[in-house]
Order: sequence, then structure tokens, then C-alpha cells
Amino acid sequence: MSEERILITGGSSGLGRAIAGWFAERGASVVSVDLFAANEPAPNLVHIECDLSSRQAVDRALPAILAAGPYRWVFLNAGASATGPFEALPPETIGKLIRLNAETPVLLASTLMREQAISGGICIVSSLSHFTGYPGAATYAASKDAVAVYAKSVRKPFARAGVSVTLACPGPLRTGHAARHAPEGADASRRMLPQQAAEAIIAATQKGRKLAIPGSGPKLFALAGRIAPKLVTQQMRKLILEKLDKPVW
Amino acid sequence: MRALITGATSGIGLKLAHRLAPTHELLLTGRRPADEVSALLPVPSAYAVADQSDPESVVASIGDKMTKLGWDRLDLAVLNAGAGSVGDPVTETTEAARLVLDTNASTPIRLAHFLFPALTAAAGKLVLIGSVAHRGAPNFATYAASKAALHGFGRALEQEWRGRVSVIVIHPGPTASGMHEKAGYSAGKAERLFIPADAMAAMIADLAKGQGGIFTASYARYLLRGYWARRR
Repeated sequence: MSEERILITGGSSGLGRAIAGWFAERGASVVSVDLFAANEPAPNLVHIECDLSSRQAVDRALPAILAAGPYRWVFLNAGASATGPFEALPPETIGKLIRLNAETPVLLASTLMREQAISGGICIVSSLSHFTGYPGAATYAASKDAVAVYAKSVRKPFARAGVSVTLACPGPLRTGHAARHAPEGADASRRMLPQQAAEAIIAATQKGRKLAIPGSGPKLFALAGRIAPKLVTQQMRKLILEKLDKPVW
Repeated sequence: MRALITGATSGIGLKLAHRLAPTHELLLTGRRPADEVSALLPVPSAYAVADQSDPESVVASIGDKMTKLGWDRLDLAVLNAGAGSVGDPVTETTEAARLVLDTNASTPIRLAHFLFPALTAAAGKLVLIGSVAHRGAPNFATYAASKAALHGFGRALEQEWRGRVSVIVIHPGPTASGMHEKAGYSAGKAERLFIPADAMAAMIADLAKGQGGIFTASYARYLLRGYWARRR
């Protein structure tokens, strides 16, 4: 493990921080790309500062990301949401979310593959909303569906180069992200700990599995969404959209 | 009835424009200057140059034209313009990926946002043209991703706007629209099984008359519903 190097986007908070921490504790070198460095610096953790929603910033950071490689595992995890009625969303948020959640992971994946900078596998973090739909976060849902379908599409072409692709679709976690975007009064204790989700996602990535949905509740929800997509999206509307008390972006 | 169709200077969009012309006042968009396309377009129709790869300029151009026409209500918006490129995802350039995601995802989502007041005023319909590739495709991964974005967006928005604006997502099957050639793809003999662009436009026009939801305009629908036998 001490020989291993991993790359993670959004490694300073939430699920990304849990994944970075898991590898750092086991002696792997961790390269994290995020807006801000995590609170606790570690000797085997390298931070590359980048606003992954900005094309100029991504173009500037790419050489540094490549220079810090090659990597055994790559976790394209960074993401953000925007919840509230779509028509009330500030228009500039649309491009920002599509870039951060979809375009940047696509570009990082193809660039790292082209430069042969990955030896093991890539994990692309989407969302449980890929299976359920997400009224109240239409643009977020769009970006997460895009990145999920990209992961499914490149699985075979990347496998020809010996790199596995794992699609991770976590449900709500006990993170700042979920707390910001959940309706008022939602029970945070029912959300999974980011460390638990991280373990499941890391295990699936290391085994080269196609799909990781951490937790039995989210697995069931995903199954229901596959069987009756329209019904589940209607339920999501009742569970989330109709209860959102304030827009958050 | 007023209708906006993006990407209306070729393929499915052009056929749809001609199909809707007898019953609709039309605002059409395309990348080419007006004098290059005026001979193709139905008369009368309004035209706005809109380079789909730049979301903000598309909104500005369509907004200007709607103001000039005095359109504060819109009955139908068909966001049809799209681009694609074919190839191994490993060799896809940054520029190509950004162009496809802007054209097929960011611009239509940004337009839907901009058109909301006009569509609401007319209790209108928003039609998003996706693709059957939205489930995934190894040879055009980013194109599939961009169409998946429209799918996920439309799926959520259909619920959000229910009772105000009908949201209809249509995923066309392979169509003889000229798009495959533009994307650098030759289908070979499979092209015989492509749906003619005019029949696809007819399917879209019919689906646009109905309720909100997600539909696949497949070869099976083309055969079983008799579109193959219809003549304009």
C-alpha cells in the first residue's frame, strides 16, 4: 500500500475526505484536487488547488495533476448541488454545475487515460438520483446522469487499456452537502456515515466492479427506480421538492 | 400558435419546421447566416442565428428576436439542435467534449430556464430532443452523456413544472438526418434501417400534441404506428 498513489477530486470534505483519509491511514500517497486544503495536513497528502467548475482553472491545473501521477486509483468525486425550483435558479449556476459535475470528470478521465497515468481503475461518483430522478434539483440530476452514463459508456474502451471503471451512486450521507440540500426537519441520523460509504466505494473500485451503491436502503431505492422510474420520481417530488423550504445554491 | 425550433436548418428540425408551418407562427434558429438558409425555410417564418455551442449567446439571440416579434407567450419550444462526434473516448479532445456538452446539455437547459415565463404564460409545451444513446454508447461516450443530461433534466422538470408547462422528452432512434455524417460516422448497411427524417419529424409532432413524459421514437414505433406508410 505504501507504493500506491491515488488521485481524488474534492478530497477536502465529505465523501472525498473519507476516501482520502482511508488511503492516507494505510500509507498510500494521496493527491487531492479541491478548492481548499483539508484542515489536517499529512505528510503523504499533496493538495492541488483548483476550482473544478472553471475551465481556465482546470486547464491550468492539468499539468500539475499529471506531474503528480501516475496513479493506481482515481476517484472523480468532486461535485455540488443546487436545490429549489428550477426556474428560480440563478442562470450562471447551470453552466457551473454541468462543468463541475460532468465536464471536468469527463476531461480528467480522458486526459489521464490518454497520458497513460492510471494503472488500476477509475471510480466516477454520480448519485442515487441517477436511478430515482430528482425533482427540485433538475440541473444537478442532469449533470449526475451525464457522468453516470459516461462511466457506463467508457467501461469497455478503458478496459482495453487495462483500466477498470466503477460507477458509484451514493444516497444521502451525513455530510455538509446533504445537510445543506435536505428539506428542513429531515432526519440526519438516517443518513449513512461518509466513512461507511467510502469503504464500500473503495472496495468496489479495487475489485473493478461496475457499480457501487453503498447501503441496503439506497440499493432498494435504486432497484425500485429501475422497475418503476416514473413512480419513484413522483415519490421523490413528494419527499423532496414539496418539502424544500428554501432554495440553496 | 407560436413555436420555437432550434437547429431548424437541417435534418429533423428542418422537416419539423415545414410540418408545423401551416398551423404555427415559427421562430427558427441555426448556426448559419439568414441569407444562406432562407431558401430552405418555410415562408413565413422568423429566423435567429444562434451558435448552440455558446449558451449565453443563444439566449441573447433568441431573446432579442422574441422581443422584436413581440412574443411574450410561447406555445411550443422544441429544443432540437445537437452535435456529436464519434470515436474512442481515450482520444477525444478537450474541445470536442466541451462542444458536445455545451451544445447538447448546457444550452438547452439554459434555454428552458430563459423560456419559462413565456411558456408559462401560454401554458405551453417544452420538447427536449434526446437520443436513444442516452443509456450509454462506447463509441460516443460524451454524446451519450450529454443526452443523458437532457433525460435526467427532463425527468425532474416534468414533475416540477406539471400543471404549468408540459415537459416532453423524446429520444429518437437512428434517423437519416445527416447528423451521422457530420459526426464522422458511416453506418454502412445499417443505414437502411434508419428512420427517414420526415417520418421522425411526424412522430415528434404527434408526441408534442400529447401529455408530458419521456418517449422513445423508435424504429418499432415507426413501423407499428404506420409512419412508414404516410406521405405528407
